[in-house]
Amino acid sequence: MKDVTILICDDSILARKQLKDSIKKCGFDSFLEASNGQEAIDLYKEHQPDLVFVDIVMPIKDGVEAIHEIRGFDPNAHVIVVSSVGTQTQLKNAIMEGARDFIQKPFTDSGIKEIIKARFEGR
Amino acid sequence: MHTQFFGNFLLNKGIITPEQLIEALKVQSTAHQKLGTLAIHSGYMSAIEVEDVFITQTHYDKRFGELAVELGYLTQEQVDELLTIQLPNYMLLGQILVEKGILTHVEFEDLITEYKSIYEIYDLELIEEQQHMVDKLLSDFYLPEDLPHSEYILSYLTLLFNDLVRFIGEDFTTLNIITLPEIPTNTCISQEVEGSFSFLSGLDMEQDTAVAFAGRYIDEEFEEFNEYVKASMEDFLNLHNGLYSVNMSNDYSMELHLQPPAEHENTLLSTDYPFYLLPIIFSFGTINFLFSVKRIEE
Repeated sequence: MKDVTILICDDSILARKQLKDSIKKCGFDSFLEASNGQEAIDLYKEHQPDLVFVDIVMPIKDGVEAIHEIRGFDPNAHVIVVSSVGTQTQLKNAIMEGARDFIQKPFTDSGIKEIIKARFEGR
Repeated sequence: MHTQFFGNFLLNKGIITPEQLIEALKVQSTAHQKLGTLAIHSGYMSAIEVEDVFITQTHYDKRFGELAVELGYLTQEQVDELLTIQLPNYMLLGQILVEKGILTHVEFEDLITEYKSIYEIYDLELIEEQQHMVDKLLSDFYLPEDLPHSEYILSYLTLLFNDLVRFIGEDFTTLNIITLPEIPTNTCISQEVEGSFSFLSGLDMEQDTAVAFAGRYIDEEFEEFNEYVKASMEDFLNLHNGLYSVNMSNDYSMELHLQPPAEHENTLLSTDYPFYLLPIIFSFGTINFLFSVKRIEE
């Protein structure tokens, strides 16, 4: 879909690649990439993407802070947390900040497909 | 077992909706643990017995513990013991779902049994031969005498060997742990884990070894050292420490927080505490596993 942009924020280049590969299978190929929370905030403000995937544990600014600022800028921002094993407290904080859903690493293609479907069904 | 695993498990089974899970997570921090849930968790009472006490409570104005003793389900000693226990997060989540009427105690008990059996398979999915190898490595192992809280370290190493077998391969052996004040690194990734047990962990290896390590870890051929190879090292360390923090939450009700991995290339790594270096020899090269205990709260 040409008019949909997805922002992927993870400090691991490997995780970003794996997530992009999985989303591409759903027919989306327009991505923005950030490697820390501050980059994600800046890119969100500039492009206002349709969907954001954000890791929790990141340098400079973590995922919880990024969600707080993104949702402060745009209360309708659609943010999904991609959490690693063992980040329960931060995950709870991310949900409190307004994350719409979460998926746990290592994720599956079907898990990503469900999230994409829920966000873009009918478009 | 973290709440998110149990939450995902319930979502995948269609037991609860994402909205119900998020609602339960929101109230979790303020929820009080109930004696009935503690009794199920400790194996002292079945869900049916807990339900029986709740029904009896509607006829008599008595506390749960008092009635459970009168009905012969618990002894006073068991009640006293239960009052000192802290519930794992997933049990608290279950209790909230029961209170909200989404689950009954009996359904909750059945789900916990199923969830635990799945989790144990996930945690110890090694075939018998591989498990023997891990057991042998551990039985031959000697831990330095100055290593504090060796039971935490031993469970860390048990998981490490399991994760190496599971994600990299079983063709490795270890040498004894060396204690050093500082470590000269090759290609090194470290991660700090913080909480009442704080430590620094790290993987150090030659670049060629890292290329082979990453190839095995993500099942992809790499011709040279690049960002993906480095990210594979980070990912393995992050996954291992994440699983360890889950185990510590489950076994000791201890919450640990992972910091982002850091890179240290050809430098001298030092902390205020001694480093423990564990050489792990694979057929493709040697991996040095680094460990430094910063703090343990009694």
